[in-house]
Amino acid sequence: MSVTGPDASHVVPNRVISALGLLALALVWLLDVGTIQPNRIVPGTGHGLVSAVGWGGAALVTAMLAGSILLAFLKVRGRYLILLALVGLSLALLPLLLDVFAARHLPEDAPYARSSIAAGFWCLLFLLSLMLIEILGQLGSRREIQLLLLVVIGGSWLMFLQSDGLESLSLVREFNARPAKFEQAFWTHLALAFGAVAISAALAFGLALKMMRSPGWQRPILGFVSFLQTIPSLAVFGLLIAPLSALVAAFPALEALGIRGIGWTPALLALVAYSLLPMVRNTFVALTEVPENLADAGRGMGMNERQLFFQLKLPLALPVIIEGVRITTIQAIGLTAVAALIGAGGFGSFIFQGLGQAAMDLVLLGALPTIALALLADAVFTMLAASLKPTPATA
Amino acid sequence: MRLWLPPVLLAILLCGLSASMPALEPLFQWVQPDKQQVVYERESFLFLLQNHLLLVLISAAVGTLVAVAGGIFATRPSGRDFLPLVSQVASIGQTFPPVAVLALAVPVLGFGEAPILVALMLYGLLPILRNTLAGLEGISPAVKEAARGMGMSPLQVLVRAELPLAGRVILAGIRTSVTINIATAAIGSTIGARTLGDPVIAGLVNGNTAYVLQGAILIGLLALTTDSLFEALERTWDRRFSPQVAV
Repeated sequence: MSVTGPDASHVVPNRVISALGLLALALVWLLDVGTIQPNRIVPGTGHGLVSAVGWGGAALVTAMLAGSILLAFLKVRGRYLILLALVGLSLALLPLLLDVFAARHLPEDAPYARSSIAAGFWCLLFLLSLMLIEILGQLGSRREIQLLLLVVIGGSWLMFLQSDGLESLSLVREFNARPAKFEQAFWTHLALAFGAVAISAALAFGLALKMMRSPGWQRPILGFVSFLQTIPSLAVFGLLIAPLSALVAAFPALEALGIRGIGWTPALLALVAYSLLPMVRNTFVALTEVPENLADAGRGMGMNERQLFFQLKLPLALPVIIEGVRITTIQAIGLTAVAALIGAGGFGSFIFQGLGQAAMDLVLLGALPTIALALLADAVFTMLAASLKPTPATA
Repeated sequence: MRLWLPPVLLAILLCGLSASMPALEPLFQWVQPDKQQVVYERESFLFLLQNHLLLVLISAAVGTLVAVAGGIFATRPSGRDFLPLVSQVASIGQTFPPVAVLALAVPVLGFGEAPILVALMLYGLLPILRNTLAGLEGISPAVKEAARGMGMSPLQVLVRAELPLAGRVILAGIRTSVTINIATAAIGSTIGARTLGDPVIAGLVNGNTAYVLQGAILIGLLALTTDSLFEALERTWDRRFSPQVAV
């Protein structure tokens, strides 16, 4: 990691970090950091920064934010590395605030009392993450280092969440009430999303090949898959129920296979339908945009069409195809959450159950892992695509 | 004018079907023979359609304003420091699933129309922001140089050269945003917004397939109508502006 660009020669103040820092400072002081609820449903009482973590904690948070604003203005060479350490450490240790908050405010004799995260804490988390993104961008750091940082921060959070200090956190309470269900939701979510991506990848590959061989099919196929993508997810799920139920009623043998009008069958069908557009488009574009002079070079080396496809076109097209897989996977992870409405399970079931019971922490228990899965899939596939990109010498 | 025929026909079909759904009762009786009531009657379909459209329109209008303003700010000399962060946020933000954003808005804002409006605005402005940045950044410096050379002020360069050139890409961003928001608004009925998602959710809860069908058909038609409207808009834009600005 090195400081690159014009910053290396003359150090200029970073207005982005100072603006984010100021905003964080204002919000963390103005908004409640945490709330204490007497039980699961009753709205809690909010606590501002000083009340939540005491003057010591408040001073520490303020000093950290003020320090980063100051560093952003100072003309120091290695300031981005110091900022990286400061902001990274703050993000990793952020749950400590909740720990202190729970220890200070949770009544001893109330077993149902729980602590929740409030807007000020979320804002702090969000703005610190933005600062981290800006710092990493300024450092021009490699993707692997970013992922490592993410793993360290995520790991620290998981450790804190599993510790005794945060046992009272409502999110943790909701999880502890249903660990088996959570695990099941996790696997269902993964199976549905990745199952749909795998099936649509195979279908899209076939469709793209068809479009390459007979260009007359290009418009109808692309038109059809973009038509599918236009219909809102809730409508697709809804429209599949009646025909599937009728189908199962007509052929009872299907029911033995686990196929039903609601549940995973319509969910998977709809997810595959949605996944087709990004898959087909990217696969087709990737395969057709291999430069003709490279194909000619391959032919000149004596490759036949089959070798040309597998040894030249496919490897060159792979990064763009993976990009399609990335978009599709993120989309499928989100849509699987919606599919919980038709009884498909997954993290969405916590979201909708929580909304039904007005239990906001159950909603979070479903929403946060869904977001985490999507971000993780994004990071993994972006790295995969980048590592498969041919080096400039061969492209 | 042939361009505008599909959206107009679809819109007529959408409104007609919304108004005349009760007349189709025999058909839904056949779909759902075991239920007394087969046509959703808690709210009229026209009201739900209107409310659904209103939510999407407001969020699209606010989203477009904020996103285009943000995009312009980040590409001016005074805001250029923020460009990397803004474009990163626009792309990372889009990896957040819309349902999750919707769900996160509820603990902060409560149930009803407020959280869904905020979620739709926040989520909807990301594709527009991304396309605004792409559109403004994609203009060749030579064009801006030429405009300045003609004696245009920075504001004139923006309004008379940059925005018209980037407009087509921005319009595509608005199309993506509205498509996503129509779908998200439908799911919004789980958090108490009254949209065309209501009959679907009510049908799923009560096991009434007829309700589900009514909601799903109207949502699908609404999406198709809007999409064909944008298709017509984009074609019109291409016809009107492209010949003049093509290099």
